[in-house]
Amino acid sequence: MNLDSDGVSILDVPAIEAHNLTKVYRDNIRAVDGISFSVKQGEIFGLLGPNGAGKTTTIKMIITLTKATSGTLHAFGIDVFKSPETARGMLGYVPQSISVDTDLTAYENLLIFSKLSYVSKKERNTRINDALEYMDLSSRANDLVKRYSGGMMRRLEIAQALVNRPKILLLDEPSIGLDPSSKKQVWENIKQLNHEFGVTILITTHDMSEADELCDRIAIMSEGKIAVLGTPVDLKRNVGGDIVTVNLFSTSPAISLPKEIGHIIHNNEKSIQILTTNGEEAIPLIADFFRSHEIRIESISINKANLDDVFMKYAKRRLGDEMYKATRNMRRDFVRHAR
Amino acid sequence: MNIKKFLISSITIAEMEARKLRHDPTELWTRIIQPALWLLVFGETFNTIKAMPTGNFSYIQFITPGILAQSVLFISIFYGITVVWEKDVGILTKLLSTPSPRSSIVLGKSLAASLRGIFQAMMIFALALLLGVKIRLDLLDIVGVFAVVVLFAMCFSSFSMFLASYMKTRDRMMGIGQALTMPLFFASNAIYPISVMPVWLQYVSIVNPLSYVVDAIRSMLLTGSYGNLLIDILALLFSTIVFVTLASTTIKKLLE
Repeated sequence: MNLDSDGVSILDVPAIEAHNLTKVYRDNIRAVDGISFSVKQGEIFGLLGPNGAGKTTTIKMIITLTKATSGTLHAFGIDVFKSPETARGMLGYVPQSISVDTDLTAYENLLIFSKLSYVSKKERNTRINDALEYMDLSSRANDLVKRYSGGMMRRLEIAQALVNRPKILLLDEPSIGLDPSSKKQVWENIKQLNHEFGVTILITTHDMSEADELCDRIAIMSEGKIAVLGTPVDLKRNVGGDIVTVNLFSTSPAISLPKEIGHIIHNNEKSIQILTTNGEEAIPLIADFFRSHEIRIESISINKANLDDVFMKYAKRRLGDEMYKATRNMRRDFVRHAR
Repeated sequence: MNIKKFLISSITIAEMEARKLRHDPTELWTRIIQPALWLLVFGETFNTIKAMPTGNFSYIQFITPGILAQSVLFISIFYGITVVWEKDVGILTKLLSTPSPRSSIVLGKSLAASLRGIFQAMMIFALALLLGVKIRLDLLDIVGVFAVVVLFAMCFSSFSMFLASYMKTRDRMMGIGQALTMPLFFASNAIYPISVMPVWLQYVSIVNPLSYVVDAIRSMLLTGSYGNLLIDILALLFSTIVFVTLASTTIKKLLE
């Protein structure tokens, strides 16, 4: 095991460590407002949030495209702001918009990029071919990129970031604008990179399913701050469970549900929403309860807790007991809109 | 900063443009049309009416160096637009995310501008020979002309990138390019001698860098009298270094 002078394993150094990172734009907009987080080596870390939450600005500060107003940022122990060129040497960056040069071939794109990353002449060809092979682009390597589909371009972007053999890959909205099958393929590539080569990945997304599918841990950003941070499972548990909606044939009388079944969070005459810990298990109990009270049920639907709910809960308001009611109402509104 | 890495990056950026031109050289060929028209139509016409006091040289001889300088100016002055465009489509962002030093972009792009300039110069040489324009074909002079073209393209393309760092949009750069090229061109000795200009314009032409470039090229291609050549080239070299350095430090503003 590699040990540094303090006897601390370098394996323990976080891949990315941000402390009080802040970016204030000229017109006093606090795009990123004092966030602190740390990304462990080898994990896929997600920054999730609505547009304008500060995700892209955060990534741009890491890749040193934007200067932070204050705060510190380390990548594998290296001060990113003090040695930007060394830091960029460890990072691979896939920006949000397609930015490969469409007037060049795929091979040329990677060639130029590997030269700019100072990959030695001996290794260059192997690395380029490996990256193309890996992203499944070898057969079209010598075609001009302008003849590529969107999914292929995205894969080429990732291939381009790989010739550098980065320790950390920064992906800004990697599946934006892709059709479902291309999206799946990109996801597979990302997971594979992480599993096979242990590349640490920081990904931004506003797509809940993407974060759920890929990320080991997620930080939900809202208005420049991190609202909540945790594993997808923990976050979902925090929302409080599944919502079962019962639709009745006639207006329901005032009823009170036993605690074991769940809480009624909304009663809209013919439609009752019940918050349960486990929706599937609650449905038969709910059905029995209504039957025993001789209330006829028209239909029952279930709304499983997902990251969407987490997102709705945290993206706008910060966690706090006094907020419980407010977030609950918000969730109810959200559920109503989603129906 | 490591000089070797800086140069590798700059040359790579130039290589990137060269590869693009190889895939689609249309731009190189279409850029010949305008100088060809100047020589063929304007040059030939004024040649016959002999309206200009061009001394021992025919008018078409006189303007050949001017047209060469002008067409290189046109290539370079719009270079800022290319950079802004590359910023807009994200290519620049991508380049800046590599470990390469950012300032190498400017030198790389200005080298690419010189590459275009060299091709343009070759075309104009060919055109001049085709039209039977008598120019001095001394090897050293020709090398000298190419050196001036290279410096001139680097100088004005980095000037353009310097402006782009502040202007930030293609439309503004387009406007500025248009606003600069014609005054530079007409207030120079490219298509008429300074002596025929109104006095105030003569003063303008003294501070016009294009005049020095035309003067340098003309002395090598036509007169063979190198009296001013050293000053011309030193002035050009100086402003090239100034603008490349200046643009290298300002280019990152383009991304903000």
